[in-house]
Amino acid sequence: MDTEAYLVEMKGVTKDFPGVRALAGVDFRLRQGGELRGLVGKNGAGKSTLMNVLTGVYPSDAGEIVVRGKSFARMTTTLSRQLGIACVHQHSQLVGPLSIAENVFCGALPTGRLGLVDWDTVNREAEERLGRLGLAIDVRRKVEGLSVAERQIIEIAKALFAEAQVIILDEATAPLPKSDVELLFGFVRRQREKGVAFVYISHYLEEIFELCENVTVMKDGRNIGDYAVSELTPPALIRAISGVEVERFRHASAASGGRPVLEVRDLSRPGSYSHVSLTLARGEIVGLTGLEGCGKDSLARGLFGLEPAGQGEVLLDGSPYHASDPREALDQGLAYLPRDRHGLGIIGARSIQENITLPILSRLTNAAGLLSARKETELVSRLIALLDVVTPSAAQPIQFLSGGNQQKVVFAKLVSASPRVLLLDEPTQGVDVQAKVEIMKIIDRLSREQQVATLVISEEIGELLDVCDRILVMFRGRIAAEFETSDPGTTVERILRAVEGAAQS
Amino acid sequence: MRFLRTNSVPALLDNLIWVLLLLSGLAFSLLTEQFLSVNNLVNILVHSSVLGIMVIGQSFTLITGNFDLSAESTLGLVAVVGAFLLAASGEPANGSGLMLHPIPTVGVMLALGLLIGAVNGLLITRMRMNNFVVTLSMMIIVRGLAFLLTQGKTVTHLPESFKVLGHGLIGPVPVSVIVLIAAFAVAAVVTQSTRFGRDLYAVGGNRDAALASGIDPDRRILHVYLISGALAAFAAWVELGRLGVGATRIGEGMIFEIQAAAVIGGISLFGGRGTMIGALGGVLLLSVINSGLNLMQVSGFAIDMVRGIVILAAMLLDAQKLRYRQPASQQAPSARLAA
Repeated sequence: MDTEAYLVEMKGVTKDFPGVRALAGVDFRLRQGGELRGLVGKNGAGKSTLMNVLTGVYPSDAGEIVVRGKSFARMTTTLSRQLGIACVHQHSQLVGPLSIAENVFCGALPTGRLGLVDWDTVNREAEERLGRLGLAIDVRRKVEGLSVAERQIIEIAKALFAEAQVIILDEATAPLPKSDVELLFGFVRRQREKGVAFVYISHYLEEIFELCENVTVMKDGRNIGDYAVSELTPPALIRAISGVEVERFRHASAASGGRPVLEVRDLSRPGSYSHVSLTLARGEIVGLTGLEGCGKDSLARGLFGLEPAGQGEVLLDGSPYHASDPREALDQGLAYLPRDRHGLGIIGARSIQENITLPILSRLTNAAGLLSARKETELVSRLIALLDVVTPSAAQPIQFLSGGNQQKVVFAKLVSASPRVLLLDEPTQGVDVQAKVEIMKIIDRLSREQQVATLVISEEIGELLDVCDRILVMFRGRIAAEFETSDPGTTVERILRAVEGAAQS
Repeated sequence: MRFLRTNSVPALLDNLIWVLLLLSGLAFSLLTEQFLSVNNLVNILVHSSVLGIMVIGQSFTLITGNFDLSAESTLGLVAVVGAFLLAASGEPANGSGLMLHPIPTVGVMLALGLLIGAVNGLLITRMRMNNFVVTLSMMIIVRGLAFLLTQGKTVTHLPESFKVLGHGLIGPVPVSVIVLIAAFAVAAVVTQSTRFGRDLYAVGGNRDAALASGIDPDRRILHVYLISGALAAFAAWVELGRLGVGATRIGEGMIFEIQAAAVIGGISLFGGRGTMIGALGGVLLLSVINSGLNLMQVSGFAIDMVRGIVILAAMLLDAQKLRYRQPASQQAPSARLAA
């Protein structure tokens, strides 16, 4: 094959980490003249490692990297930057307290005669450069005031100013509200027309279909296929990624009638939500969806005591409920799964066991105040088996697990507290397709076997339809619509219309 | 080689302290004849006692991701206050003349340690002040108070019953060695096998996740500063017994040795990692190096330099450990598949 046709060609790249072959002879190519290539695979398939080898973060153990026909056996971060390869991470690398202009010039601010920064030039030049990319934006604004999508666009722009020809977007849309994804995609498409090659890593397969021309599928450290997106269907791609057909999960209602477990009456918190009323019955699974900022996640944090709940009435099994901190919420039988797993869900350096039992240590303590190792081990091994956490031992630090397994441990932690009500904020975020199904099964099983009342907050409407009995839609802080999932008239389209604020028919 | 690269590397890093202790002990016993004598080994333990108690207090704060620079000054102030209360007035004793009984004296000393800990803890948790700034200021203020109290004079003539912790013997065994071992045993049980200990690791590992798991991080941070203050006061009691006099400069400059011992022993400066038993290893290693170099009649200045190098090496190791773990964390899922 003619090497000249490729901007980047990785050949037979192999990378070993202690105890594991992370990449086993991977080939990966990017065309010259612009390309939008998706890179997909389960957590741990080797996507990030491959890109880290390309950018020189990790040296490869074998193989070569050819950039514009020139072969490099050993890539370094400096070299990859010189060759025009840049990576935009999920979490912004911009300096928040500085202005957009300063961030654009970061490290190379133009100076005047006295060696002082020439602010006029900084701002004018930044405006001009961003203007050339079709971005009209006030460059004096501080980065910390920007939306996540705007930050990522600025980061891509920054990479382009540094003459980047290859830009890797690593889970770039994971923190983005859906409305902002289009903004980012529009910008990416325009740059691709100008000849920039993008590598797009994502768990959201619909985005691959929307944005990419080609897709590379990785599994267990190997490239198991390069496809043109136009030749693929979503089920075919899922099959390729997981190696098996992912079953579609469908929940059968286990809700029992009678008095609701949780009853929220006319709850309002200025700036977050207003006049919210909802009920959760024993064994019922209720979905709560809406746009970013509609108040759905603030509601969960308010109920769990992480934020003030506001004015209104909340009843738990008929008695007034109030939690001023998470301890009080847990003690009364509420458990909460946070959206931000790394920020709020897990303590990475500590073991699976310690993570699971953290909320209930007082129950495992004997009269002398010491933890009962026997009780703790029993409980933890039971929960690991129940939730099917794949790990060599409960003593393993949780950071060494895949995203899906980490999430299962967080579920185990919630279950250990034997809650009456579960509040789950984006429970399938950042886990691979197969783990998503497993997590939905866990939610279903908890409702059936333990009669837990569950509120699932998610923007994945398809998933909510599969797992919930009812779906509530929030719009601008209010509950705007309610759907029964058993009703054949309930479709993704109708729910989406409510999400976007159209009056319900 | 393959074996070394797999599971043994993290295990080796975590237990490196015992390997280093063994190697340095071996080296000194070859270099000097006296090193392995019973007398010298007991001496090493006696010299470890005050440092060890201080390291326990510091480790509690470090595990929560904080530290207490003021601990060394607390040790100094509490020691001179204790001596001042116990001793007669005028030359040569230089005390207050109260000649207070040792039992209430110890009570006052512990209360003073707790008070300094409470001020640190409340400023950090309630006023949201940075722990470095707070404890550095307290270090300077508290040392200043010690100078004000004694005007720089040394307080002597302390009662024998008071000196028993630092000076006494039970049979052939110095009381201070028993105190050291008992203190580490209690600290190890508290950190590993109580809810309180688990909470501390959680707060240091991820404060927000700890909060979401029903822990009150501010309360736990206040607790570790109280413990740090109380243990500094306890160490002052032992130190007064060992030295037999109360001097204003007790503990001065000791904080670096304290932190170095904890970090060499595997307590991370970044919080959430490390064990008390490891910290004990760190204490013993520093004492072994001190003793060995002294026996080799290396000059005091050179010993200070070696200490500096050891501290630097400890910090380097801590930073490297974190770096080593990062790539591994991204790889573990496939490690599981391969297994």
